[in-house]
This record gives sequence, C-alpha cells and structure tokens, in this order.
Amino acid sequence: MPAEIVPGPSGYIPTPAVFEEVELSPPGYGLYLGQIVDELTAMREAARAMLTRRNPTIFPGPKILWGWNAHAMEEAKAILELSAEIPNCRIIPMPDYRPKYPKIDPEAEINPNHPNLTILHNKIEACIFVGVHCHYANLSLRMIRAGTNCFTIALCGELGHEDAMVSIRDLTPEKIRRFKEVLIEVREELGIHHSPTPPPENPSLPQEDFQTLSVLDYGEYSYLLLPRKDEQVTDTE
Amino acid sequence: MGLEYVRISPGFEKYMPKDYVDLVQYGQFGKEVDVQQLGQFKELVEEHPMCAGCFMAYFIRVFYAALPKPEDTIVIGTAGCARLALSQAAVPFIYGNYGDTNAVASGLKRALNIRFPNKEKDVVVMAGDGGLIDIGFGMTMHSWFRRENFTTIMVDNEVYGNTGGQESGMSPKGVQLKMAPKGKQFEKINAVELAKTAGCVYVAKISPTNPKRIAKTVRRAVLAAREFGPTFIHAYTSCNIEYSIPTEKVLEDARKREKQDFGFYEWMTDEVKEFFEQLERAPQEVKA
Amino acid sequence: MPEQRVIDADELILKTERQRKFITGAQAMAEAVKRANVDIAIAYPITPQSEVMHLVGDIWAQGYLRDYYRAEEEYGAMSAIAGAVRGGARAFSATSGPGLLRGLEAIASWPGHRIPVVLGVLTRVVNAPLSIQPDNVEISYLLNCGMVVLHAENQQDVFDFTLAGFVISEKVDVYIPVAVCTEGFFVTHAKGYVNMTPEDLKLPPRDPYKAPVPPTDCEIPPARIQRDAPVQKSNFMSYLIHAVWQQEIWSSNRRAMKYINHYLGGPIEVVNEDAEVFIVASGCAAAQGREAVRYANMEGLNVGLVKVKSIRPFPEKQIRQVLSNAKAIIVPEHNIVGWLAKEVKACIPNSDAVIGGPRVYGGMTLPVELIMEKVYDAFGIKKSKKVVV
Repeated sequence: MPAEIVPGPSGYIPTPAVFEEVELSPPGYGLYLGQIVDELTAMREAARAMLTRRNPTIFPGPKILWGWNAHAMEEAKAILELSAEIPNCRIIPMPDYRPKYPKIDPEAEINPNHPNLTILHNKIEACIFVGVHCHYANLSLRMIRAGTNCFTIALCGELGHEDAMVSIRDLTPEKIRRFKEVLIEVREELGIHHSPTPPPENPSLPQEDFQTLSVLDYGEYSYLLLPRKDEQVTDTE
Repeated sequence: MGLEYVRISPGFEKYMPKDYVDLVQYGQFGKEVDVQQLGQFKELVEEHPMCAGCFMAYFIRVFYAALPKPEDTIVIGTAGCARLALSQAAVPFIYGNYGDTNAVASGLKRALNIRFPNKEKDVVVMAGDGGLIDIGFGMTMHSWFRRENFTTIMVDNEVYGNTGGQESGMSPKGVQLKMAPKGKQFEKINAVELAKTAGCVYVAKISPTNPKRIAKTVRRAVLAAREFGPTFIHAYTSCNIEYSIPTEKVLEDARKREKQDFGFYEWMTDEVKEFFEQLERAPQEVKA
Repeated sequence: MPEQRVIDADELILKTERQRKFITGAQAMAEAVKRANVDIAIAYPITPQSEVMHLVGDIWAQGYLRDYYRAEEEYGAMSAIAGAVRGGARAFSATSGPGLLRGLEAIASWPGHRIPVVLGVLTRVVNAPLSIQPDNVEISYLLNCGMVVLHAENQQDVFDFTLAGFVISEKVDVYIPVAVCTEGFFVTHAKGYVNMTPEDLKLPPRDPYKAPVPPTDCEIPPARIQRDAPVQKSNFMSYLIHAVWQQEIWSSNRRAMKYINHYLGGPIEVVNEDAEVFIVASGCAAAQGREAVRYANMEGLNVGLVKVKSIRPFPEKQIRQVLSNAKAIIVPEHNIVGWLAKEVKACIPNSDAVIGGPRVYGGMTLPVELIMEKVYDAFGIKKSKKVVV
C-alpha cells in the first residue's frame, strides 16, 4: 500500500515516495497524495490547493521560460493564462539548475539546490512546478516536503512525480488550459470572485545599467581591462 | 540551434530575474564582442567564488569574452579552482571526475559530430596543471594523439590550489609546497613541447598580461580546433594564495614571469597558419 | 549489411518473430548491439571481454554504428562514454575484472551524472595474482553505485538483457546505466542457442530530449546548464541536496523494476514453485542450479530454482514470497565472498535457512554434483562420496 504523500515538514531527511511504494500514474491518470486517481480529481485537488492555501505560486522551469521551440512558447503562454486566474498568484522562475553563487534572491527566483529558501521566505503554501526537468523537480519536491508545509503540484511533460501532492503527467498546452477551466470551476464553487489579473512582475534588485556603463566605472581595476599604451610587452617570438 | 535556447519565452520577460533579461539583451549571444569592451556588456560569467586577486579568475573572464560562438560552446572542467567560476557561467559546463576532461571531451565532441554533422559546436577543456598533466596525463595526451577536434586550455597555477597547495608536475623545481616539504625534486614539465609532439595543430604559451592577446589566442585555438585538430593553450595563471603574491602584485608577477619563462609563444602547422592568414585578412567575409 | 528499419521497442523486443542461431555469448552481445541503433562504442582490450568489442568494431566497420574507437585505457573509455551520452548519443562499452575496477570511478559516477548507457561486464578474476579465468566477484563492486545490474545465465539472456538494457536505461523515470553481466569464457566463448530478433530491424534512435536532465548539446535550455555542479555544503546550497540526489538515483533504480517486468518477464524466474528446498542463483550458477533441480527431481527430491536476473534493483519482495515456505535455501556462486547469499539472507526473515554455497572461484567450474551435496545436506541424506576432480 503506497504511503500518503502529504505536505511536510516531514523531518530532517525525507523518505522518497518511491521507497514507500508510491508509483507513477498510468497515462490518463494523475496522483493525489501518492494515490493514483483520475486526472480530473487530481486537477480539482490541485485547483483547490492553489485557491485556498496562502501565497500560491507558480515555479516555471527552463523548459518553458526559454522559447527554444514553439511548444515551449505555447506552454508558457498557457501558464500565463492560468496564473491570471489564480487570486494573488505569483510567478517565481527557476531559470537554471546550477548552485548559484553567492546566493539567490528568494523573491526573484527559485533554485533546485535549495528550493526551501524561496518557499520559506515567501511563506508559500501551495505551488506548481512546470517546465522543470524531472530530475531537478524531484530533488526540489523532496526538499520542500522535508522542510516546509507547502502543498506541491507537478505539471509534468513526462511521467509525473511521486513526491508531489498532486502530479499531472503528459502535459500539453491544451491540458494546461483544461486545468485552467477546472480551476475556474472550482473557484466558482468556492464562491471566490476574481477577474483575470496577471501576477506581479519580478522584483529583482536593480543591477548595472548596461546602457550607460563605462570602463571608468571600474576605477583602479580598469587597468585589468584596458592596458594603457606602452604597457604591452613586446612579443618574444 | 544556438540562439533559440537563449531567448526568453514571450510574456515571461517581466517574470525573469533581471540578471537573465540583461544576459539576453546585453550579453554576448549572437554577437562578437571586442574584449576591450569588457565591463560594458553583460558578461557570461560574473559572480564566482574564486579568491580575491586570483589571476585565473581574470583569465577565465577574458576567455569567456573571447569565445567566437558562446551559444554553441561547451566547456569541460575538472576538480580544481577553475571550475568554481566555470560552473557559474552562462555556457554549458560539464564537471566530470578527476582528470577525465579530455576523455569526456572526446566522447562529447564525437557525439555532437554524429548528431549535428553540419553545425559548429565548440568544445573547450579548461583545467588546471594537476588535472591535465598529472592525474589526467594519459587522457590529455591520447586525445591529442587521436587528433580529437577540441581545444585544451591549461590554466597553470603551478600548484594544487583547490586542495590546499600541494606540488604539481608543473610546479617549478625547488619550490617548497605541501607534499614537497624539501622542495620539488624535478623540473617543470614542458607541456608545450609535449603538445606539439603529440599532434596539436595550434599551441600557445601565454602569460595573461594583455587582454587583446589572450582573446586572439583563445579565438585562434577554438577556430583551429574546429577545422584541423587538437589545440592547446598553456596559460600562466598564478595562485596568489599559495605563492603569497599580494593582490595588487598579481599583474606585476605575470609580467615578471612573462619576461622570465612565460614569454608569449605561438606555434601552428602550416595549414593552420594559412587558414588564419585568410581568415584574418578578410574578417568580414569569413564569419566565425 | 542489410538496410535496417526502425521499429518500436515493444514490437522489436516482444513481438517480432525470432530466428534461432547457435552463437557465443560475445556474439550474442554484439548481435544485440547491432539491433540497438547504437551511435558510438568505445573499446579497450581485456580478456575475456575483448571478443565482444572486436565484434562490435566489426559491425561498426559494416556501418551499423556511427563511431567506434579504441580508448587509452578503461578510465578514459568510461569517461568518454559519459561525454558521448551527455552529448545525446546512444553508447556502448564492455569490460572485464581489472578493467572494470580501473574504470569504476567513472562507472560509479554514471548514475549520479544521469548517464543512460549499457555496459557489458564479462566477468573474470580480479587480479592479483593475475588470472583471466571466470569469477564474478567484480559484480559485488557494482551493487552499491546505483546502476541497474542484470546477470545473464546464458547466451540468450545476454542477447535479451543487452537489447532491453538500452530501452530500460533510457526510460525517463529510470535514466541510469544498465550493466549486463555474465561469466567470461563460460558464456562469452561458449556457444548456445539464441533466438534473435530480425537483423533488419532496429530500435528507434535515442531521443535525448525525452529525459529527466537536459543533454549538453547547446540545443536545449538552460544555457547555464551545469546539470551536475559540485554540490558541497555552503551558504548557497541546502544540506539536503546531495542526499536527495542520491535518493533520486535509488528511486530511479527501483522504477526500473516495472520495465524489467515488462521486457524481461520479471526479475526472477521460478522453477517448481512448491519446492521444499530452493536453489537461488544468478548467471552461470543458475544454469548449474537448473541441472541440479533436474537431478534432484530424478531422485524424487522436491527442489526448486529461483534464478535472479536482476541484482539491482534486487527483487526483495518477490524472493521473500517464493521462499516463504522453503526449508533450506542453497545459493551456489562463482565467487568467494558470496554476495548473492548476503543479498538473499538480508531480504528474508529466516536467514538461517540459507546455505551459503557451494562457491567456486578463481576460474573453477561449478559441477552440478557440488550443488547436489548441499541438496543432500538440506534433506539430511548422508552420502559418503565427495565430488573430486
């Protein structure tokens, strides 16, 4: 009997859902709390979590953030449509997977090497992972379940995710839009009034303005960039 | 593909961190930058955990600015200092096992040739003296013997910097380091001559005192590897920590070594020479 | 070389009509590679593996593979395999004993690096003193690195496991390497009947974008790909990152079980389910165990066989269930350490029932009579004559 995969915190070190007999759902089905359910049920539970829990957030990954093909761009568009239907929804991207030095800005991004930082900083209690490669999504989902009380939803283009509270597999732009319809339906059932509003923009800190930046801004270090005349050592060939 | 994968999905520009928006708008992808504009465009590598005053970090910075086609370049590294910055760059980076760079690069380059026979995909190994000439020696040499089409850049700090300052085969004779408490007992290995003997078509030795020249050397090494065979750059990138070089003196030290034993040296086969003569004579016609 | 047509993996492996050939284990492995649409094979000589990579070289020369070369040594070969697979190619290599150990640093890193590949492991003595004879102690070195480890009994298994190995390793929810192990010489250099899929059909090419990690080919985001950067405890990484990464590898290993069920008919084969005494064996020892079951049944002794095909993932539940009523469990092996006996003991409640042995090693054969001695012991039958050479 597969374990029930519920929001954490589950403890110091998480036990992977796979070790607790949770299996990926067959085509046409999803997972809800580790159990195989029909896709509509999974979508409804995901919608309920995004509508009723605090600070619902969508974490789009590289597969849709970057417009590397038409399919990616269409999914990106569908995700933006979905986000507008969720009251107070935010979008916090996961643009890549490297451990980012010196640290991430938890309001501006999420990183698979410490996703819990972003979740805890923003007090996110429901989230959707979409467009993240499965390996990194699994790392994140497990860390989030270990250390936070966030309800995780995985919209996956492949086979889904055992460690998410809701897993939808074989994602397409159409399926995202179907999920959006289900979400609107659940929202109305819950009596929440909302007109489509796009999430707020990324609050990343202001950085260099490359339009006005000059080498002189580098002060004494500029010699490393621009050798002065006569400083060049003559070739020794 | 190249540029498509560094383009933000329409609508998502305002949700991306500014860092990435700048990278696309003011970065190097799809254009050739002049290394002397360094600091005035969004660079491929910015914040990294290398030591203050590290000359290897400077060399890496210029290296990325010099890449002829960063959107179609893969960098391979191994244990050591360089990977600290390489792993933060906006160019795909592979970090394998100890000293395996030139074997991984061989497999990777062959796979890319199989899958994209009509596309330029540059593979560049950037590893230290320990990685390439000690633990990875056999794989380095054999990749050259096999005439694999990629560039190998040795960032030579003459020490195992990242593991705490042990002697390497490239440390100068007599230097006292960890694991050489009585001083190193044998000469610095002559990597440049090994590279020539092993079949590299372009070999350079450089002390990074002049960004223009670093850029030209990197560019030549990458372009020659595309067309002709293995290429090698031996760069002196001092370890200011283990060799106790004051931060403000690293450039001075590089110049001193340049006069002493790291004078710029460039060697290439006749066909590579001819290729560059054509390429550099008509830069507008032959686009990298 | 016949023109090869791509066909769906399930069709090829499970449905096509097979042709029976009398070939060596080395030939069976090369024949599977021929049908697996492999892009690149990287070879390095070591006896008894060399035969496999000679044959793979031949089929490359005939045009079945896109690239092939003889590497500098095994560490270089296995590292280059990792490079090629990251670049999106389907790759193959094979090795034996000391070669496996030389390449092990690279091989053991494949699962964590998410390198889907098939590695032939044609076992031999691990030096020293030097010997090239069969002994499968090297498999024990593979058990804890995360990869899928299959152990072939005969030439037919070698063909089936190798061909299915490529498909299993590239499944999105698996995506770790598959080692196809078998005993050197006993299987690699001996002939047996093999039912093979048609020579003019091959697997679909690898799709490196259908994957849990991006390939490193500058065609897929993110540009800052660093798909496996060093993750050390630091202010910019969670203390959990390496732990959950390892969990992901072992989760993937477990997920491989459903594909082992699908393509290989399950991780174990059971002969005589209602037996009182079971022989649990893998590889060549399973062939001898099969003979022992025949001998025992001729003598009216109720003996069964559990052949273990998959050592990783280890079929704990299935074995526990089959052995639930066993009075004694005999585990014959081709190594001194008894790695299979340990595995079996660890997964059943009554480990006292396991008779660890008979074990032969250093190149010795495993006579059926040796297993029968243990069978007689298990039934309390006294025999005065011992097996001697």
